[in-house]
Amino acid sequence: MNEVGAGVAAVRVQGLWKRFGEQIAVAGIDLELPAGRFIGLVGPNGAGKTTTLSMVTGLLRPDQGTVEVAGHDVWRDPVAVKARIGVLPEGLRLFERLSGRELLAYTGRLRGLPGDEVDKRATQLLDVLGLAGAQHKLVVDYSTGMRKKIGLAAALLHNPEVLFLDEPFEGVDPVSAQTIRGVLERYTASGATVVFSSHVMELVESLCDWVAVMAAGRIRAHGPLAEVRGDAPSLQQAFLELVGAHGHDAGADLDWLGGVR
Amino acid sequence: MNGVTGVVVRLKLSLLRNGLRQSAGRRAAYITSVVFTLLYAALQLLGLILLRGSAHAATIAVLSTAVLALGWAVMPLFFPSGDETLDPTRLVMLPLRPQPLVRALLTASLVGIGPLFTLCLLTGAVVSTAHGAAGYGTAVVAVVLALLVCVALARAITAANIRLLTSRKGRDLAVLSGLVIAIGAQVVNFGAQQLGSGGLSQLDPAGDVLRWVPPASAIGAVDSMSNGSYGVGAAQLLLSAVALAGLLTLWSRSLTKLMTAPDASTLQAAEPGARKRTSAVPFRLLPAGRTGTVMERSLRYVWRDPKTKTAWVTSLAIGMIVPVFNALQGHGSVYFACFAAGMLGIQMYNQFGQDTSAFWMVATTISSPRDAYAELRGRALALLVITLPYAALVSVVTTAIIGSWEKLPEALGLTFALLGAMLATGTWTSARFPYSIPQEGYKNVAPGQTGIAWISIFGGLVAAALLSAPVIAATIWLNATAGGSEWTWLLLPAGTVYGALILLLSLRLTAPRAAQRLPEILAAVSKG
Repeated sequence: MNEVGAGVAAVRVQGLWKRFGEQIAVAGIDLELPAGRFIGLVGPNGAGKTTTLSMVTGLLRPDQGTVEVAGHDVWRDPVAVKARIGVLPEGLRLFERLSGRELLAYTGRLRGLPGDEVDKRATQLLDVLGLAGAQHKLVVDYSTGMRKKIGLAAALLHNPEVLFLDEPFEGVDPVSAQTIRGVLERYTASGATVVFSSHVMELVESLCDWVAVMAAGRIRAHGPLAEVRGDAPSLQQAFLELVGAHGHDAGADLDWLGGVR
Repeated sequence: MNGVTGVVVRLKLSLLRNGLRQSAGRRAAYITSVVFTLLYAALQLLGLILLRGSAHAATIAVLSTAVLALGWAVMPLFFPSGDETLDPTRLVMLPLRPQPLVRALLTASLVGIGPLFTLCLLTGAVVSTAHGAAGYGTAVVAVVLALLVCVALARAITAANIRLLTSRKGRDLAVLSGLVIAIGAQVVNFGAQQLGSGGLSQLDPAGDVLRWVPPASAIGAVDSMSNGSYGVGAAQLLLSAVALAGLLTLWSRSLTKLMTAPDASTLQAAEPGARKRTSAVPFRLLPAGRTGTVMERSLRYVWRDPKTKTAWVTSLAIGMIVPVFNALQGHGSVYFACFAAGMLGIQMYNQFGQDTSAFWMVATTISSPRDAYAELRGRALALLVITLPYAALVSVVTTAIIGSWEKLPEALGLTFALLGAMLATGTWTSARFPYSIPQEGYKNVAPGQTGIAWISIFGGLVAAALLSAPVIAATIWLNATAGGSEWTWLLLPAGTVYGALILLLSLRLTAPRAAQRLPEILAAVSKG
């Protein structure tokens, strides 16, 4: 079910633009994301990662450009696309006055899955993600890590081909992060594609086999991890050179810090 | 003033000043509230002074003080964020001992409109009762003591409950406080009417008890001393002093605990025994598929979401009160029962705004006009589950009071037609003019979207009235034509069918539009 036809990219983006008033958030992106990979979209805050992911998942209308998921146009063929993708956005609420289990039951049924199947999958997801103990608590009382996990469960419930996660590890404790990691690795091993954004390079380097580097609304580099890293000792170094943010010695002006007290 | 007290008082003044500096609107609101509070305090003071010499003066003075103290006890529960110096957890990182901190916070609490209002009222209370040197001497002590007890009471209650007040449940409670105040006003109104007919002597038994309850006992002491009962007066004064000491100790203890104990809300919540929220029996009766799913969520939100709950309770209460009270007072009409349909139909407006940015979860599952139709229909049906029987009930109750049973069918027909029209216009404006509802505070429209909200609600109300015009016209025509009143029962089926048809039509017309505008709707409802 997760097989994407050979040669078809999981996501194909062409000439994508988005402007908010004076500010250009996304300035013409062309990108082809290969299927079956663990893909990291990295960039500093304000690079346009969230805007891009919102447009790719159909939550934000682009000013220009086309987006195809598994060969289907996101805006012209929403029926084919929405059933194939799972989304975990950043900065948007969930239906927080439902309990974790109710939220999954609600999402799964909205997706048109049979009720019994939804409940079975929900139980398994809650178990694997360590939320079984809190399943009857309202989501409004969940911690950040628990919210990310229940959001991930809701995104996985209908077994999508491509999963888009916006900052899934932001504000998440190490234990929850490890759980999320485990689930995602198992998921990609089955041939599905994960696209996630982050500004933590160590994380991307340890998780992804394919990366796209974004800065100021454009793609600066993309390809397999080793290729993008090149000769640099780490992705962090390669990234700093790509976005041109190096050479400023912040310590010079703070000579008193750590001096005689 | 010692160091800490001075700093805390200055902190309070700075917070007040900076709050006012933020916006002209806030400044205007503050000045208006100060002017009104002072005017009210002056009137109270005047009224109490005029009572001097009246047989009930002591009772009124004691009762006023007791009510005032109750206000001090309750206010911080509803407005926990109103005063940042009230929240001692903000000072937790500072190296402060409880004793100087209590002194400093108590002094800071005396700065503000509330204490000034209290001071005016207490002064009025003692002026109305004090006679002779002993009376006046006691009066000075009593005013200071009662004021300190009021302030310490508010602080002690806040400190003891701060974890609850700053928690989610506390904030939910605060949103509902408007309702409590509205209902309280009704009770006061009713009480005042009773007093108007029965006289002030009804209050004397309550006064006899309350004059022994601090801080009213301090005011009671003034009366006792003025009448020469020095022993009783001293005992009452002592009671207030003991209460003050007790409150200060309690407050100091809670402060110490707050400052040193970890915040339980960050502890790992490993409640395996957490109450299971089972799918209640009524929910199992809902239809399968998207319709039932949407209905279940909407109905759960009526109960669980404080904003939605407040809106519903208000609609239900006013929808019943207006036609029924008018009927009770003798100048009502069975047609007034339609008012309930109008009030309840408003709940259909801005459906997606009620979702907040969680609307994305709905948006990702709507891929065709068909999905949008099921979504909107589910929401309309959820509303009908409550509004249809309730609007019918209001019609029946109103008719029963007025007694013109022959008019019930047409009243019901009109009600159902109007309900259908309200749901129809609500459906359409939900997709066309969505706006954000901020989740914090009392505002129901996000800044910058007030225009859209007005267009949506008032345009919708006018449109709903126009849409129900055929049924209204038919009612007038049948009642005006000779022999027509024999056929007015026809208005019940006709109005019901008409209401259902325009709702269905609106759902059909709105669904494609909603499915097309999902990103725009999401952007509009995510500003809160």
